[in-house]
Amino acid sequence: MGVSNRILVLDGASRPGRDVVGGKGASISEMRALGLPVPPAFVLPIAECRRFHAADERLEPQVWDAVLGGIEYLEGETGRRFGDPASPLLVSVRSGAAVSMPGMMDTILNLGMTDAVERGLAALSGDPGFARETHVRFCAEFGDTVLGADVDPAGDDATADTVRAAVLADTGRPVPADPHEQLRAAILAVFRSWSSRRAIAYRRHWRIAEEGGTAVVVQAMVFGNLGQQSGTGVLFTRDPLSGALSPYGEWLPGGQGEDVVSGTHDPLPLASLAESLPGVHGQLLEAAELLERHHADVLDIEFTVERERLYLLQTRVAKRSPLAAVRFAADLVADGMIDPGVALGRVTPEQVQSVLSPTLRESAATGGATLARGVPACPGVASGTVAHDTAAAEDADGPVVLARPTTSPEDVAAMIAAVGVVTERGGSTSHAAVVTRALGRPSVVGVGDGETAGWAGREVTIDGTAGVVYDGILPTRTTRAGDVPGLADLIAWARERVQITLAAEHPRVLDLDAAGLRLEPERRSDPAALARAMCGAAAISGSVLGSAEGAQAAVRCGVPVIVPLPGQREEVLLLRLAQAGTGDMR
Amino acid sequence: MSDIDLLALHGLAIKKSGSAAAVAEVLGLSAEEVQVALDTACADGRAAGAGGTFMVTPAGRTWLDERYAEEFAGLRQNPASAEAYEQFERINRKLLALMTDWQMMPAGNERIPNDHSDADYDADIVDQLGALHERAERPLGGFAELEPRLGRYRERLEHAYDRVLAGEHGWISGARIDSYHTCWYELHEDLLRLLGRQREEPS
Repeated sequence: MGVSNRILVLDGASRPGRDVVGGKGASISEMRALGLPVPPAFVLPIAECRRFHAADERLEPQVWDAVLGGIEYLEGETGRRFGDPASPLLVSVRSGAAVSMPGMMDTILNLGMTDAVERGLAALSGDPGFARETHVRFCAEFGDTVLGADVDPAGDDATADTVRAAVLADTGRPVPADPHEQLRAAILAVFRSWSSRRAIAYRRHWRIAEEGGTAVVVQAMVFGNLGQQSGTGVLFTRDPLSGALSPYGEWLPGGQGEDVVSGTHDPLPLASLAESLPGVHGQLLEAAELLERHHADVLDIEFTVERERLYLLQTRVAKRSPLAAVRFAADLVADGMIDPGVALGRVTPEQVQSVLSPTLRESAATGGATLARGVPACPGVASGTVAHDTAAAEDADGPVVLARPTTSPEDVAAMIAAVGVVTERGGSTSHAAVVTRALGRPSVVGVGDGETAGWAGREVTIDGTAGVVYDGILPTRTTRAGDVPGLADLIAWARERVQITLAAEHPRVLDLDAAGLRLEPERRSDPAALARAMCGAAAISGSVLGSAEGAQAAVRCGVPVIVPLPGQREEVLLLRLAQAGTGDMR
Repeated sequence: MSDIDLLALHGLAIKKSGSAAAVAEVLGLSAEEVQVALDTACADGRAAGAGGTFMVTPAGRTWLDERYAEEFAGLRQNPASAEAYEQFERINRKLLALMTDWQMMPAGNERIPNDHSDADYDADIVDQLGALHERAERPLGGFAELEPRLGRYRERLEHAYDRVLAGEHGWISGARIDSYHTCWYELHEDLLRLLGRQREEPS
């Protein structure tokens, strides 16, 4: 292979473990071993990080020689050359510790970019704008990640020169013009990040040994921007919103890497890839099925197509809506990938609570004049009388919806007192949005200046999922387990595993709330106090049973009967109890 | 800011409806001296209080706005404070976006409440919060030099971040505790008042 043992080529021939090459390196090897198309990569193993620190942060010449050998390997695999404008090899550099922890250096993309390479890439892709943008992105990322520059995000008219000047002005250090210097600086920065303040503080908190270290993965970049036979996209092996069985995804012809993720371009549905490149589409679906079976879970897969050739860039367990989480768990059992016990660990009680929450679906369709529309900030439905200021909100008897031009810290008390919040100014990242989400108060923000002026004392209903404020108190409809695909199966499996009986009433119920053990938001209950109260009780009820600590105490004490409080859903309690019974399954 | 009457009412305006002890905590002063100042403010109609909890009155607000302009004229004209505030704003935008990422995660092409099922996603946000926390040291150090009282926010933010690192994730954006966002939000309000600026909410 022409490379020394100081680096490892990740071609899937061997399967080095996470403790040797870190999580990312192990995952690339795994995908290659499955025969999947992954851009070529090599890794400086974790041991090199230890040597680097033992040698006072110096990289031994043999290691650098090995890195150059690794670059030659990537050049051989791709047919490109590092720093060659006519056919440039660009690489990414990533950190990879055995266990992920804060403080490790972020990914840097497009190393090997220079002024000459930018011109070469412009000619190659026929898109000078794209080449310039890639160069700008590289300089900004290198400045931010390696040099610690704090500069504004590059605007549309930014060039590599303007970004480099801003980085130099902020840090006093230049973005290197030489590709090898870029690579060397990035590798050193990854190794140094092992002893960053944050990493040290984290290890101290979690008593993780100071030796250890992080690997460095160097991977060839592939280009999705080389014409219409190229592009980039993301595929979910099943629909992560509805939970439906069909693969779901987006395809951006001629797009590169982060374009899909960053949302700067409008991608097409996956079906258009099937039309334009049916062979690639078929190959992608095959890979998706293989990976889903291998991981026994629904995945998202980032991919790039370079001149009709498919590359898989990253595979992760897909993040999913509560609805999809429930359906996936049941469907994967039906497909024989997991058993019911595992399925019960794949869904959280919060997700079940969420799919069972009351909806406005019918009443919003049938009536209720729309008062205002804004940005949905915190999902959920809330109805109440509008109050404009904090004093009125805190003093009101019934449920109150707080309406403010903007909010400041002094409004937090009113937001706690209110059932929902509307603001006139601000978007989904305003302080008001952050606070209402932290409190779980449905909110609509940015409905427009002066829009809420005449609302004092008026009854309104907020739909924080859709971003709409309705006139009046609209009726909601309760969702039943049967309305949610997969939920009835999950609940049946939970029932089989839970010894405790849920009963509507009982002659001798111990009320834990009255006993001073009410569930407090943002506070953990004391398991010992819960156990003392519950053990020996004939039947119990209480808000704390909706928490993991409460359910665990009830199971451990062998409580025979639980009487749910009004508003406590049986389905949610059953899942909590089933999970408490088997320990932490997640 | 040497004037305890101004300082106490200013702290109350940020904290809103606090006890003397809560206001003293924000300011880094003793509860006794704040209590005396808030009692004076009540007697002069700038604050109202019941059961040990105080609020700024409308008259108090007007008085504050006038006093800020006098008291902080120097600070407002100092280029160093303008520069530190610009750095702060830049980090503020990133911090609020990060808080949003913490609370709402992407699923497909939508955002849904973070169910904390993806440990890597959460760890990445904790890490980015740490990066911003470190970057905020520059503007916060600048402000603490100009107005030593503001150094108190650094300690509070450090405390919140330390709890986050220890795995207590409620300390990222919890609204009922002195979480990272709670401290940051109050710091932001404090700076807006001192510098006489308007809140610019990202849209």
